Amino acid sequence: MQRAIESVGIPTVIIAALPPVVRQAGTPRAAAPMVPMGANAGAPHDVEMQTAIVKASLELLETIETPGKIVSLPFEYHAVI
Amino acid sequence: MSMTVVKGLQSEIFVPITPKSVWAPVTKPLSEMTVALATAAGVHRVDQERFNLAGDFTWRKIPNESTEEELMVTHGGYDNSDVNKDINCMFPITRLKELAAEGFIKACAPYHAGFMGGGGNIEKFTNETGPQVAEMLKSEGVDACLLTAG
Repeated sequence: MQRAIESVGIPTVIIAALPPVVRQAGTPRAAAPMVPMGANAGAPHDVEMQTAIVKASLELLETIETPGKIVSLPFEYHAVI
Repeated sequence: MSMTVVKGLQSEIFVPITPKSVWAPVTKPLSEMTVALATAAGVHRVDQERFNLAGDFTWRKIPNESTEEELMVTHGGYDNSDVNKDINCMFPITRLKELAAEGFIKACAPYHAGFMGGGGNIEKFTNETGPQVAEMLKSEGVDACLLTAG
């Protein structure tokens, strides 16, 4: 999907809980906070963390210059199961 | 020194091939961008058809004015409990609206895209669903797209 969107000329960034998977899929730009699958954009109702992750991910649009780059984000959330 | 090559020899270890990245350059600052969301997390409006958990390559067009209460998830491939509590976990639409209001980005796209990743008909995804979503984003004049998946 990310590749299809890039191919029509729209730059993208993906927030991934599983960086190896998006690397394998050939992502152009990815953000990788320390989160479980299902809470890629941060813990539920944690507005501060979600805003920070969304902002930091969007900023990667301006800063990543190399295709395939995955940047770890310093946010961490563990789901309680 | 000649190379020792055995014709037809294959590794017994499966080595997947990573495709070359597709790359659209960024041409303007974030504050001038209209941004769309696209998620593989199975997000859709409550009044839209649910995804088929056994595999579904279709996608849902999600109007930006949708409220958190009007959105839900159908996806059997990951633990839905966080996203059921707060749709923003996978579809940060409220956060995106806030960032547009504060001027961090110019605007939210009028429509976003929800689909169900995690398998299904990859050929259809690649050749139909992907291009359809890309075409919608292109036609609504989106400058960038934030995805959640993986």
